[in-house]
This record gives sequence, structure tokens and C-alpha cells, in this order.
Amino acid sequence: MLRLTSNNICKNFGGLEVLKDVSFTVEGPELIGLIGPNGAGKTTLTNILDGALKPSSGTVYMNGERIDTRPPYGVARAGLGRTFQVTRAFRRMTVLENLLIPAMAMRATARQRDFEEKAQEVLEFLTISHLRNEYARALSGGQQKLLELGRLLMLDPQMIILDEPFAGVHPRLMDVIYRYITEINAQGKAFIIISHDMDTIFTLSRRLLVLNYGDLIADGDPEVVREDPVVKAAYLGEDEE
Amino acid sequence: MNPTAIYRVAGSIAIVLLLAIPFASSELGGVGPLVLSSYFMHLAITAFFYAILASSWSLLAGYAGQFSFGHMAFMAIGGYTSGLIGKFFRFTTAPSELCTDIPLLGNWWLVILNIRRVGTIDESCLDMARAETLPAGTLIVFPPVWASIAMGLVMGATFGLLVGWLVLRLRSTYLALFTIGFSEILRASISAEIPITEGQSGLELVPLFPGGLLGFTSTSKIPPYYAMLLLFLLAMALMTWLAGSRFGLFIRAIREDEEAAAALGVNIVRYKVLVFVITSTLAAAAGALQGHYIGIITPNTLIILQMSLVIAMAVIGGLENIYAASVGAIVITFALELLRTSINIGPLHVDMTLWRLVFFGLLLMLTLRFQRNGLLFPILERISRGGVAEETVSIREESEEDWEEEVEVDQLEDSPSDSGEESAG
Repeated sequence: MLRLTSNNICKNFGGLEVLKDVSFTVEGPELIGLIGPNGAGKTTLTNILDGALKPSSGTVYMNGERIDTRPPYGVARAGLGRTFQVTRAFRRMTVLENLLIPAMAMRATARQRDFEEKAQEVLEFLTISHLRNEYARALSGGQQKLLELGRLLMLDPQMIILDEPFAGVHPRLMDVIYRYITEINAQGKAFIIISHDMDTIFTLSRRLLVLNYGDLIADGDPEVVREDPVVKAAYLGEDEE
Repeated sequence: MNPTAIYRVAGSIAIVLLLAIPFASSELGGVGPLVLSSYFMHLAITAFFYAILASSWSLLAGYAGQFSFGHMAFMAIGGYTSGLIGKFFRFTTAPSELCTDIPLLGNWWLVILNIRRVGTIDESCLDMARAETLPAGTLIVFPPVWASIAMGLVMGATFGLLVGWLVLRLRSTYLALFTIGFSEILRASISAEIPITEGQSGLELVPLFPGGLLGFTSTSKIPPYYAMLLLFLLAMALMTWLAGSRFGLFIRAIREDEEAAAALGVNIVRYKVLVFVITSTLAAAAGALQGHYIGIITPNTLIILQMSLVIAMAVIGGLENIYAASVGAIVITFALELLRTSINIGPLHVDMTLWRLVFFGLLLMLTLRFQRNGLLFPILERISRGGVAEETVSIREESEEDWEEEVEVDQLEDSPSDSGEESAG
């Protein structure tokens, strides 16, 4: 079973302390929301978890193996996948090629045709199978978000971090993304979802982490966190009552 | 006919034509009224040389997004390595005692000649050894040309590895500036080290086939034509395989977004270094072969104009396709020569030996402005992706019909009046 442990993560950029002793553990297929005001350190924490940034101090372990010293591709191969705040589809490659990349990268001797069937299933699940041979640049912003989610299904990680998956997405596509998260979570994959959409994040997540200027100020059941006076003061505001 | 079949047929026809061209040359008497001059054969060899450079640069810059200006430097490394081996290395059956002697298998020795300093007129150590220390009957053998060329490839790969590793974290402008710097340092070093490289005078290389081949003399264009064509075809075969494999998929992903590729499990360090090594080796191979064909290599091959020429060939053909880049190189090599013919427009005499580069520059500017993917690439795209739009529309319509049917079925099943009527019935 998945176990990800973040131990006293600190990150400084020059004199700026972006993360201060952030510790938490993810066990099994949890569905976690990560919220906080702009500049709270959410994306920095994500970048440290996925290996894009090295922490100034602290460690990250996944299933007993230290991953904060690994490069991003090593973290991905260890079983952690992510999307980015701004969609990063490979625009001058086809939708199918976008999907094949993570699958091929995970298996050294694999050939493209070994994964085409799985890619087709993923595209059908995401309702964009008709775009299979189109260049990713031809897709709308929402469809590119779906494509990013599809790439994660091909990567097949144990844990998925989604950075603002609902931002700027049409309601119909939002339903697809919502279904994606709940169904894939039910299949045993853990999620950390960063979002500013409070209604969705409180409905969706079963555990909430709240960052505020680098401090992890709350970690627990969303309904309990909602009533936490520290969180209210720092982020949700009094009108949430 | 599907796109793969079209490519295969077109490729096969092109290969047959390229193999047949020498039979129409003046050396072989031509075919019917068609007699291709020795000059034409020389142009064809040069065109293949540039086609290897442009297509390998296309793999590096167009596929992997690594805009290196050091490609001609790797070409020169191949040529100079092969030339220097021919200049300084000999195999003998006895140690010279006066040069650097390295024992090999059997009675053979590798003798590395000394470097004669500027202004001295002393004989080489081997000449002196021949008179003083070498026993009578000692065999002195030049290194085979193929072995010198192979060493050129090894040096090209080694420098490719080094530069590839050094530029790992550099992007766009910084990578371009670094590689221009590398190329200039190499050019200045070659120019300065006259005792080794002969400086601006150029390093002489033995002919590709010193003793001739199959009845052709060492100055014949036929064997070098086939040698360069063979290298071109091998390079294209290798790059085609690479571009269609996981390697091609990963380097294109790196071109699009390095961080996203890494987050999806792609080892970007490995593939960036690999693409540098492979393309540098191909450039070195072309340089070594061309050096032996021309018989001399000079530091002027490294000037930025030469690199610009290769870039322009790839850009005009189509940067993101190795075939488009290679055809661009072949067409432009011939076009630049054909444009040498001066023309008269009324009283105006246009000296095309000077103006051809202006026309060439204009073509490059127009291509970049109106057809950024090159002149040939859109045609290849149309062949390979002709049916994609129709396919997208038809699949979407099918799925929409299925969805509408599902909705209708759901509505029927969910309707209480319908179910009531059924149960009542």
C-alpha cells in the first residue's frame, strides 16, 4: 500500500522562506485537497514532491524509498505523477503520441503498438477519442487538461497530484474531471488536489491540508478544517461561517 | 494508398535513381543523350555531404529542439581527426627508436611522427629513422583510410558527448551562444596550431581510394559518389529508425516541454546527450569522408557562414523532418551552383556569382516569414496526415450518435408514465 511521508520540508528562495517544516503522511488511496492563499507554497511543495525542486532541508519518502534526491523522471518512475497549473501538453505532437510517452518511458523495452489499445481506452474514458490523431495544439484548453489527465493514466502512478484541475474549465468537462478523480481514486490511487474552487474541493476531498505562507496550519477532515479558527482567519475568511 | 506505402514507394524510386546516376556520367559514357559531367558528379557528392549535415542538424534542432551552432565544428573534428591520423600515424614492422613507438600485435608497431616546429627544416623522425635505425626491409604502412575515418567518428562522438553534457542546462540563446563559442575556439585553435594542422593552408588528406577502386582511378568521381551516397543512405536509415522509435518520441517531448517530459518519466539528460552524440557522429562521418574526397580541409569550413548554410538548407526544406531537410540541402546545393550563371536584363548585367547569395537569403527570409515549417514539410504533412480531419469528424459524429441513443434509452427507462403503461399492459 502507498505510503508517502514528507518530513520537515523547508524551502528557501534567497531570504524568502516559502515552506517551513511541512510534514504530513499519505497512506493508501486518500483523496486530499491542498488549499491556501496565493503565495502559500502549494506549487513549491508540489515541485518538491515531484523532484523538480530540491528542499532546503527535510526529506520525502515514498514506500520506504527516499525520493527528494531523485530527478523528476525518477520520482515519476517511483510512482508519483502530476499535472501543472498551466496546462503543458506536447503541442506539436498528436494526442496519441502524448499518451504513449509516459507509458513508453516506464518500460524500457516497450514498443508503441503495445500501448495503443490502452491509449484508446483512456481516450474513450476521457471522451476525447475522436481527437486521437490531432495535434495537441488543436485541442481546447479544457481538452488539453483532459489530455494531461490521460497521460497520468498511461503513467499509472500510485499517487497523482493535480494542480488546479478545474481552473478555466467548461462545466461539462468539469464533470469529466470530477468523474476521473473519483473513479481513479476508487481504483486505489491517492490524489492531492490543489484548487481555489472551494465548493468542489470541500465536496471532493476527504482530507484537507491548508498552507499559509509556508506553514501547514491545518490537516484533517474538511468539515473540521472548515471550522478551524486559524484557517478561517488565514484563508477562508469570516464569511465562510 | 496509405502514407507509409507512399513513402516507401517514393523512397525506393529515389534510391534507384540515385544509384543509377553514375551510369549517366561522362566517365561511364552516359545513358543515351544524357551525359552528366564530372562537375555534376562533384555537385552530387557535395549535395549528399550537405544533406547528411542538414538532416542530422534537423534531428538535433527540429526534433530535439537543441539549436546548436556547433554542427560544422563536429564535421571538422571528423575531417581533421582523419587527416591528422594520416599525417602523423604509421604502422611499421620495427620500432623507429626516434619517434613515439607503441607496440601492437605481432611484430607491428604504431609510430607517431614528431611535430616539426615552424621555421625548422629538419626531416621527420621516420625519415631519419629510415636512414639510421630501421633495419632494411622494414615495412612502413599508412593507416587505412577507413580506419582514419572511423577514428574521426569516435572523436566526433566523444566531443558530442562532452558538448552535450556541458549544454544540458542551456536553452535557446544560451545554447546557441555556447556552441558558436565552441566552434570559434576550435577554428582559432586549428588556425593557430600550424605545425599540427597546417593552419589556414589546410590539412591535406589522402584520397578516399588512394589506389583507385575497381578500375577507377583515385581521382574518379564514381567511387566517392557511391561512398558518400552510402553514408547518406545509412545516416537516413539510422535517423528514420530513431525518429520512429521511443527515442524520437522522447526527444520531441523534450523539445516541447522538458519539465513535463521529465515529470512523465523521460530521462531528459540521457536523451539530450544521446541526440548530441548521434548527430555529432554523423556530422563527423560526413566531414571525414568529404575531407578525403576533396583532399584538403581548412579552418574556413568552421566559419559561421558555413553553419548558416546548413541551417538555411534545413529551414528551407523543413526543419522538423529529416527528409525535408535533406532534400532541401540537395536542391539548394545544385541551385546555388546553377545560379552562378550571370544574366542580362536589358542593358543591366547581373553578376550572379555575387547576387546568388542575395537571392538565397531572400528565399530564406520569405520561407521564415510565410512558411515557417519549410517548403517541403507541408507537402509531407499533407501526405501523412491527409485523412486526420475527416477521421476526427467521423468518429465525433459516431460518438455523438451513440450518446444521443444512450440519452433516448435513458429517458425511456426513466420515464414513469412509460414504465407504468408497460406494467399496466
